[in-house]
Amino acid sequence: MEFSEHIKTANVEDVVLRRPFHPPMQGTLCVTGHHLLFSNRDGDSSRLVLLLLRNIDAIEKRPSVSSGTITLKCKDLCVLQLDIPGMEECLNIARSIEYLSSLDIVSDMYPFFYRPLKLSLQDQWGLSSPEQNYAQMEELQDRWRLSHVNKDYSVCPSYPPAVIVPHSIDDETLVKVAKFRQGGRFPVLCYYHRKNGMVIMRSSQPLTGANRKRCREDELLLQAVIDGSGLGYIIDTRSNQQAQQARMTGGGFESKSSYSCWKRLHRQLERGKVLQESLIKLVEACGDHSHSVDRWLSKLENSKWLSHVHTALATAGLLAECVERDGHSVLVHGSEGTDATLLVSSLAQLILDPNTRTLDGFLGLLEREWLLAGHPFQHRCAHSAYSHARLRLEAPVFVLLLDCVWQLARQFPLAMGFSEPLLLRLAREVYASDYGTFLCNSDQERCAAGVKERTHCLFQFLLKPSEREHYSNPLYEPTELAIWPSIQPQSLQLWRGLFLRWTQHAVHLEKAQEELRNLVIECRGAS
Amino acid sequence: MASASIPVYNRSNNPLENSSSQNASRESLKMEPLAVTLLPGEERVIDKDIMYICPFSGPVKGKVFITNYRLYFKSADADPSVTLNVPLGAIGRVEKMGGASSRGENSYGLDITCKDMRNLRFALKQEGHSRRDIFDILFRYAFPLSHGLLLFAYLSQEKYEENGWSVYKPMEEFRRQGLPTDKWRITFINDNYELCDTYPTILVVPFKATEEDLRKVSTFRSRGRIPVLSWIHRENQAVICRCSQPLVGMSGKRNKDDERYLDVIREANGTAKLTIYDARPSVNAVANKATGGGYEGDDTYQNAELVFLDIHNIHVMRESLKKLKDIVYPNVEESHWLSSLESTHWLEHIKLVLSGAIQVADKISGGNSVVVHCSDGWDRTAQLTSLAMLMLDSHYRTLRGFQVLLEKEWISFGHKFASRIGHGDKNHADQDRSPIFVQFIDCVWQMTKQFPTAFEFNERLLMTILDHLFSCRFGTFLYNCESARDTNEVRSKTVSLWSLVNSDSTSYLNPFYTPESSRVLYPVASMRHLELWVTYYIRWNPRIRQQQQSPVEQRYMELLALRDEYLKKLEELQLTDSSPNSSHLSNSSASNAASPTQHINHLHTPF
Repeated sequence: MEFSEHIKTANVEDVVLRRPFHPPMQGTLCVTGHHLLFSNRDGDSSRLVLLLLRNIDAIEKRPSVSSGTITLKCKDLCVLQLDIPGMEECLNIARSIEYLSSLDIVSDMYPFFYRPLKLSLQDQWGLSSPEQNYAQMEELQDRWRLSHVNKDYSVCPSYPPAVIVPHSIDDETLVKVAKFRQGGRFPVLCYYHRKNGMVIMRSSQPLTGANRKRCREDELLLQAVIDGSGLGYIIDTRSNQQAQQARMTGGGFESKSSYSCWKRLHRQLERGKVLQESLIKLVEACGDHSHSVDRWLSKLENSKWLSHVHTALATAGLLAECVERDGHSVLVHGSEGTDATLLVSSLAQLILDPNTRTLDGFLGLLEREWLLAGHPFQHRCAHSAYSHARLRLEAPVFVLLLDCVWQLARQFPLAMGFSEPLLLRLAREVYASDYGTFLCNSDQERCAAGVKERTHCLFQFLLKPSEREHYSNPLYEPTELAIWPSIQPQSLQLWRGLFLRWTQHAVHLEKAQEELRNLVIECRGAS
Repeated sequence: MASASIPVYNRSNNPLENSSSQNASRESLKMEPLAVTLLPGEERVIDKDIMYICPFSGPVKGKVFITNYRLYFKSADADPSVTLNVPLGAIGRVEKMGGASSRGENSYGLDITCKDMRNLRFALKQEGHSRRDIFDILFRYAFPLSHGLLLFAYLSQEKYEENGWSVYKPMEEFRRQGLPTDKWRITFINDNYELCDTYPTILVVPFKATEEDLRKVSTFRSRGRIPVLSWIHRENQAVICRCSQPLVGMSGKRNKDDERYLDVIREANGTAKLTIYDARPSVNAVANKATGGGYEGDDTYQNAELVFLDIHNIHVMRESLKKLKDIVYPNVEESHWLSSLESTHWLEHIKLVLSGAIQVADKISGGNSVVVHCSDGWDRTAQLTSLAMLMLDSHYRTLRGFQVLLEKEWISFGHKFASRIGHGDKNHADQDRSPIFVQFIDCVWQMTKQFPTAFEFNERLLMTILDHLFSCRFGTFLYNCESARDTNEVRSKTVSLWSLVNSDSTSYLNPFYTPESSRVLYPVASMRHLELWVTYYIRWNPRIRQQQQSPVEQRYMELLALRDEYLKKLEELQLTDSSPNSSHLSNSSASNAASPTQHINHLHTPF
């Protein structure tokens, strides 16, 4: 595609850029296919500000006779303002931004054009494959096998080509089970608890429908999961009522009569629109800078964001408790099994499994439980909190995950091998990135679009020696113990680092964090 | 030290955490089976079998011991055991609960309200007036001043290596600030507390003002609290002065001497317009005219501008904290936590105090002198001046400097600790009581949260200060002013809290401290950036306990220790060839904290 046809005015002189923490700057604004480029030459020194167009969530223009002002609200919650001389230029630029910031075709997006010198397209893409993951877990191999039933994505388009299932269940059975689960997402293993051999499985809802259809193969598969251990738990991320209602539209739940060895627990996690609106309200409250006696705490409460954090952590805690304390295997699902399900299963793994708390382990977890497990990133992160566009499939589930992880890290400051800057970086990259990692909605789509051949991998980049230091927790001290978060409302805090990122306060804390890091590094250097 | 796991989901709480986590008790009280280490001078008065009605884990059978310093409870057979360790000074109110004929289990006993955000309930057997003796004794010893007894600080025989009373020497502190100068002089006019009985003896006043001027000004300021210098900016010579309200009254009285005096303050560094910060809401300032007070009118004080800071009075603050206690103890409000918190207005008050102090500090940084007052100049004024000084002067952010700040702005300038806290006094409904100092410490805590590397001391110091604000174990916070302290010989007959702190200073150091002398700290005083101090206000609730900074500190201390060990080895190796490079040590906070730990001989009294 030719981007230039959407750029009527490519260059404007004497533009004033206003952004947080910096005095207004005058210079030249330049629009390219993927970036806004602002440069200012002040004597010998020149400064360059580069903004990825994809990062722009909303644009507001106020043209007047001879000039105009464009306010850019970014997906990383930063708000910038451009004062542009010339109404014509202002409108042209605004139009270009509007169009180019919301490209739909994956292969038009910037990661396909990003070619930094230090990276090569020949580098490995991704951290690990299902095969490698399976090979590493020897202790489960006598009861669990790696199935390639989905090798051409025909059984479940949102699953990776290989998944782990009970040994006794053959591929033929899996195909039948897939037909009984929404989107073909049949139950697969996502975590094996070494201490007691219990597992976490995830899937989508069973398609029981109004007339309570059964599927022998599905029952067989679940029976094989708890084989011998007597009882399993199903954590349904919908309320009982929602689950009942789902039957009217062909969905449903595992009834007591058909799955007698499984005990169902319902925990209602919000998803989709409700979650997106919560984020919008939160960001609105954070951005309201009226210094009058605002009712900040009420606004914060009304946004309900922290109660979503609470529910997610509480459900993950419950799941981990079932596995670790009660010694039972758990199947977790909601309806589609691509959002709340992944949120709960990955948080539970962080609580239980020290391997997921290292920098490598955490990124590996995200790869397994979010990228390969088919969280529809492209749909969910098309827009962030500022967009005026009509909401479609947007939902900040991944941001919610990062927030929950931040709460964990805050409560267990030594237990995580990675740092807050990593979480902040991920929160930014998921919406707009130079890398291909978060493109598309599933592994299948990524393969089809050539993402793995034609873009660079964010996770590989973050693990490079040059980056690793910055994203590691200097005070990290591994613990084998499970980390049980406190979920009292008093223990959960607003993630100021993200939501109040563009205030003076964040600068103080960032500076302090930097000092702290230097202290520790200096200290390590000596010893 | 790994991050230990704490159980939270539907588990019974860990009653270990029920035990008082006071530092006071930790260092001086070692639990052996039924043995308590008493403080030197502490004596056992009574013990009794009793039922502690724990709000978190239900009734617990055990034994209560009362000494002249504390109430101590130990469960008989609960597993894990439950202990309580409460200095009697922390008790605000003791009441009988139920009567001889009350029905229902555990309905007969004692109900104790504490000043440190908790209540305690004990149940006894109904037969034979079993609670009479313990009630009487508790009532006597918790409120010694109401019963002609001495506060425990006068009975304590504690000995420390460091003498905390030598921490603050006014002359030394003024010299450190570069005083006197050619514009500011030191006066001993108040040597006998004749000018102002709630001020210290040594004051700094404008060079141009004569003793006679001071006397005249004192007649026009509430309780004689004339404007005096608290702090001077070394470079621009801008000053913070503090005082009480002018006695303007309904008729709008003027006083030429007072007007001239303020103008002399303005002149001292060539400030064009002196800014007077009146901490009160303007309505209150106006209302004060009715009782003879008031504020500096624009027309009378021509070279001054008056700014009201809208901070409410002691009664509002008392009610606000009471509301906060209601939503955190014993049960924490859950479903609408944030809006309940908002309705207490506690954080909003914190915000107003902090933003007032920021304005003061900002004016000073800009080279303009300021005068700060409220009504009497010993509550809000002390909050504002000391917080502004904490922002401006990095010395006050050190462990010693912070002690000096408290000694100077709060203790010596007559914050009425005795009235605000009600030490040893049974009158729990006294309208003079108010948590002004607690609010100030909260503001300091907010600053340490926003600038984690700027303070040499840690959260434990702040908690310890608040614990001993109530405990009456030390003389530091006793009485309302210096003259009363002299009369009661506090410095010769009691131990200073700083003796305890400075004899074990490593426990109170922030390992992440990085000294930065010239930086002015402006915290963000917006509601978005203020947090409830959960570890203080909700510390008694075992369900709220969360991982705190301490594991991080501990981890860092371990790293520091490792480094020191390494450096020592290096030194040994280098002894022969070159002098060791000590540059690494120079900015280590732990290295200058190597004060030897004091060993106190404990009296072991088996109960």
